[in-house]
Amino acid sequence: MPIKIDEDNLKKGLLGLVVTLVEIIEEVLEREAMRRMESGRLNEKEIDRLGRALMELNEAIEHIKEDNDIKDTVHSLRADLDDVVEEAFDVLINPQRWEKEGVRID
Amino acid sequence: MTEDEIVGEGRYVYCMFDGDEKADFGQMGVDNSLVYTISCQGIGAVVHHCEAKPYTTKDDQKAKEWILSHHFIIDCATRSFGTVVPLTFDTIFRGDDEIVRNWLSKRHEPIKKLLTELKDKDEYIVQIFLEEGVIDKEVEEGDDEIRRLKKRIENVPKGMVYLLGKRLEQRQRDRKRLLIGAYSEKFISQIKGLVEGVKIGKRNPEVPEKWKGKQVIVNLSCLTHKVDVKRLGDLLGEINTKEEFVVRFTGPWSPYSFVDRLEVEN
Repeated sequence: MPIKIDEDNLKKGLLGLVVTLVEIIEEVLEREAMRRMESGRLNEKEIDRLGRALMELNEAIEHIKEDNDIKDTVHSLRADLDDVVEEAFDVLINPQRWEKEGVRID
Repeated sequence: MTEDEIVGEGRYVYCMFDGDEKADFGQMGVDNSLVYTISCQGIGAVVHHCEAKPYTTKDDQKAKEWILSHHFIIDCATRSFGTVVPLTFDTIFRGDDEIVRNWLSKRHEPIKKLLTELKDKDEYIVQIFLEEGVIDKEVEEGDDEIRRLKKRIENVPKGMVYLLGKRLEQRQRDRKRLLIGAYSEKFISQIKGLVEGVKIGKRNPEVPEKWKGKQVIVNLSCLTHKVDVKRLGDLLGEINTKEEFVVRFTGPWSPYSFVDRLEVEN
């Protein structure tokens, strides 16, 4: 599936792609932070510090998107990537979903 | 010799039907072509003369007209002959009437079988959409983890609020996905009980403006016997009365989704 990048503005498209990847990394970090928070290995101060750092990263990303007018580009890239991932999982989990159902002629 | 000169004669085939009737549909086909029937051993094909190359155009309007003409002829054939096996737009055989006749003869058994299987059945599209927001209450109800996170978030420092908020969002998303999955499975199983066959469609189908932006939780093509349509309609009507869901139910259509196993050679 082709990923649509704003063709009229390559710079915007490339920056959008980079920010999209950073957002994905940010989500991975957040998931790991949540995992550690729930494991009980961190005390409240450490959880708070971790939360603030991630919040600042999130704010920085939002600023970059706002300043460069790439919110829509990032949104569209994320939607395309989500579709690719969803479809891949769908096939992995339910291979029968893609088998031809209904009337058969063999 | 140019490429145009070596393109030979062809037959554009719209559909197959049960019977030997000879019929002339007039110049109503794709690109105003003269549409007629060819038959062999009790099955017929609705065709028009063309060059043995696909119809292609960059003009969207023209393409739409062609596709509408294709469907129009299939509708006419359905009215004339009852059940038909529709073929997709641009199904073209290289050769003359005899080639089509040979193909009908060679594929007689599977075509006949398919015509029998499709007899008195139509295709209906069933799409069930989620009304955003309504299901959220159900997502939260009865989930201790969501309640616990909401309580915990009330009196903690900013950084913790952020992380707990993310955890809460994730939990709500997961619960929502599970709930939607359960509804979707339930509806599909109820529908399957009323129809002859189903095909699961795309997760994000093209829909008219009114339905855009709504999350599709069920998208099925259903092969439905004429006598079962009312029961299917009643079930969908019942689902549509629930405030969480909206149903789009269209048809009857020719059973395009249920003929893709018919291999067209040539």
